Amino acid sequence: MQLTKHWAAQLDDYIIDLGWSPDGNLLAAASGAGPITILAGADGARRHEFAGHEGGSNALAWRPGSSVLASGGQDGAVKLWDGLAGQHVATAALGRPWVEHIAWRPGPGAPLLAAGAGRKFVYLNPDATVRHQFKDAPKTITALSWHPQGGCAAVAFFGGVCIWDADDALAQKEYAYGNGIHALAWSPDGRWLVSGNQDPSVHLWMPESDVELQMSGYETKVRHLSFDSASRWLATSGSQDACVWDCTGSGPEGREPVMLPHPAQVCGTAFQRAHGLLATASQDGSVMLWSPDRKQPMRATVKMPSQATSLAWSPDDKLLAIGSEKGIVYVLRCEP
Amino acid sequence: MDTDPIPVTVLTGFLGSGKTTLLNRILSERHGRKLAVIENEFGEVGVDNQLVIQSDEELFEMNNGCICCSVRGDLIRILGRLLKRKDRLDGILIETTGLANPAPVAQTFFTDDEMKRNFRLDGIVTVVDAKHVSAHLDSDDESVKQLAFADAILLNKTDLSTPAELDALEARIRGINAVASITRTTNCDVPLDRVLDIGGFNLGRATEIDPKFLEPEYPFEWAGAYALPAGSHQLVIGHAPGEEHDHDHGDGHHHHHHGTENELDVAVMPLESTGEADTTAARDAAVGVFSDWERRVKAGETIEPGRTLNRLLLDEGLGTYTLKVREPGLFAVFEGCGEEPLHIHVAGDTVKPAWQADYHGAHEHSESVSSVGIRQAGELDGKRLNEWIGGLLRTKGNDIYRMKGVLSVKGAAKRLVFQGIHMLFDAKFDRDWGAEPRVNTLVFIGKNLDRSELNEAFKACLSA
Repeated sequence: MQLTKHWAAQLDDYIIDLGWSPDGNLLAAASGAGPITILAGADGARRHEFAGHEGGSNALAWRPGSSVLASGGQDGAVKLWDGLAGQHVATAALGRPWVEHIAWRPGPGAPLLAAGAGRKFVYLNPDATVRHQFKDAPKTITALSWHPQGGCAAVAFFGGVCIWDADDALAQKEYAYGNGIHALAWSPDGRWLVSGNQDPSVHLWMPESDVELQMSGYETKVRHLSFDSASRWLATSGSQDACVWDCTGSGPEGREPVMLPHPAQVCGTAFQRAHGLLATASQDGSVMLWSPDRKQPMRATVKMPSQATSLAWSPDDKLLAIGSEKGIVYVLRCEP
Repeated sequence: MDTDPIPVTVLTGFLGSGKTTLLNRILSERHGRKLAVIENEFGEVGVDNQLVIQSDEELFEMNNGCICCSVRGDLIRILGRLLKRKDRLDGILIETTGLANPAPVAQTFFTDDEMKRNFRLDGIVTVVDAKHVSAHLDSDDESVKQLAFADAILLNKTDLSTPAELDALEARIRGINAVASITRTTNCDVPLDRVLDIGGFNLGRATEIDPKFLEPEYPFEWAGAYALPAGSHQLVIGHAPGEEHDHDHGDGHHHHHHGTENELDVAVMPLESTGEADTTAARDAAVGVFSDWERRVKAGETIEPGRTLNRLLLDEGLGTYTLKVREPGLFAVFEGCGEEPLHIHVAGDTVKPAWQADYHGAHEHSESVSSVGIRQAGELDGKRLNEWIGGLLRTKGNDIYRMKGVLSVKGAAKRLVFQGIHMLFDAKFDRDWGAEPRVNTLVFIGKNLDRSELNEAFKACLSA
């Protein structure tokens, strides 16, 4: 197996977020300085460039099944763009705090965009009007993750996690956690909700049974979490090894994790959407592919000229898009 | 990832102190550099084309809300975001409100590994309104803390105060923080190298401490030299009504008693001359006498010159004792508390002292926040030192705002330099002592520090 270069594109600043359009034809890349560029998935040709957000962009999210791209930025706004037509569609001004987290509701329910801006949490309609504004979180919202079926959204802040119902906007669960939280992820089967923490650790909740597990032993705060499509493996950063927990059955407690060694601190983890490969990145610029259930898990490795900032698999799992500190977007093809 | 850490300057000071003026000056004078400003919600920086981010000061309170263990969550978030640039910034200025405790800001850079790797806390700069700060210092702890944490203090708006007021204020601030640089300004017109790149948190510069502050501490506060004939004279403590006060102890408005009220330690020692060598020798001899067992003396009883610590028992602050002099000559009288009026009467006349000295100014006792400095030659036992500092930080970490020092550890050729904030502590060996005398220097700045306890505990760490 190898990773070969498909194309690369130089943008103006640090790549802060990347996202493939649902049909896989377009790749959106936001630079830390603000502009958002729409690139052709096939060859990296620039299709459109949006001004993005004054002060800088923070996050991107394509609306499922459409060509609408949402972005959040330091101007305190959520903006909607038509990635195909190359047009600004709508803006929701949420206030002074940065919009750092946005996510479209998955699944069959009415479309909603969840957005976290400072302590404010809102559900937006597809036209960027506010569907529901929640009571402010006790501290700044630091992570956001929809349940895979779209029934609720989990919101994290220093001190805990709250799970908000998608339809009636009521709190389903409130979990206290006595430290900072940097990442949230649901297992695709919805059994586990996992946080990556400042302390440094990973905390797992099983909302159906109120089981809680705390996995510690990390070198540094855990910023990256990724589940495989089978909901078995949870890949985490926070060390010079990517630490992969087996979450089947009663969860990872008491099990030895699979440790995947890197030349430097791990700074990205991303499982394929429907297949079993795990892509990881470390601060020296390495990008690696793994099959965690194999005896020899390493499948491929490449060294990029600068540290990867984000990893995104194309919808068909054949292409891996990598954003870099120096503003270059690389798209690699994964070949058997 | 292998680039130099970005220097961070923390600006503190109350609203109206001139903090924003300083910030704007830095931004306009250093316009060639890429600086980011993180200002609080009241911020009003007015320079174009600068990266100014407003932030709500958000505390992450670890360990049940212990302030020593709190970090600024907003800074972790915002500074983490500021790293996400193709070109690194040249510096960060963090403005805090007057009400914010600067400790969590500093601790953010001490405890979070990402912050530690990418940023270097250069210094805490505190701007004070010279005209109004005294009222703040009297009434609230936060302004005292801001001074205690500072590496550089700007006494601003000095044009509104008299030189005497400024001297008094500076002395008072020195009593709180003996190691910060103090600069008088009218419009924050300070050379920027007094506030930027000052290396306040640079271990290598931890010893740049005002040497005056490190003068040894004495168990007495005042001494006077008297020429006395042979005979029995009267030593009088306190003022009878209507009597005039004939010696002045300078800054006399802070009254502080050592030990019990109505007791006063006095030693009378023969003195060769009032020359410096002789008074120094007498002073050093008196240190020994004051650490000795005391002799309790009731009113009317007799004292003789010599190596005896006399504890005079007073009645309502008054007492008259007989001072018996066998050979005429010059005598030095050391007084435990310099605030007690002391006179010697020979045949009914008051003798004027031929020389007098105050030891460690009385202002150090007036603030609950103060600095304690220790300078002592010798080598420390590493294990004992570790146990002492560890125990001190566990039990007194809340009260110790800053500590700095350079230590000589037995068996180590290099100097051990350290720096601490509350219970967080950073130490490393920096360079060989070489020909330099192996002298330990330590400074504590904090609340309710027990000077003698710290001194004794330190001495107990000296290797025999």
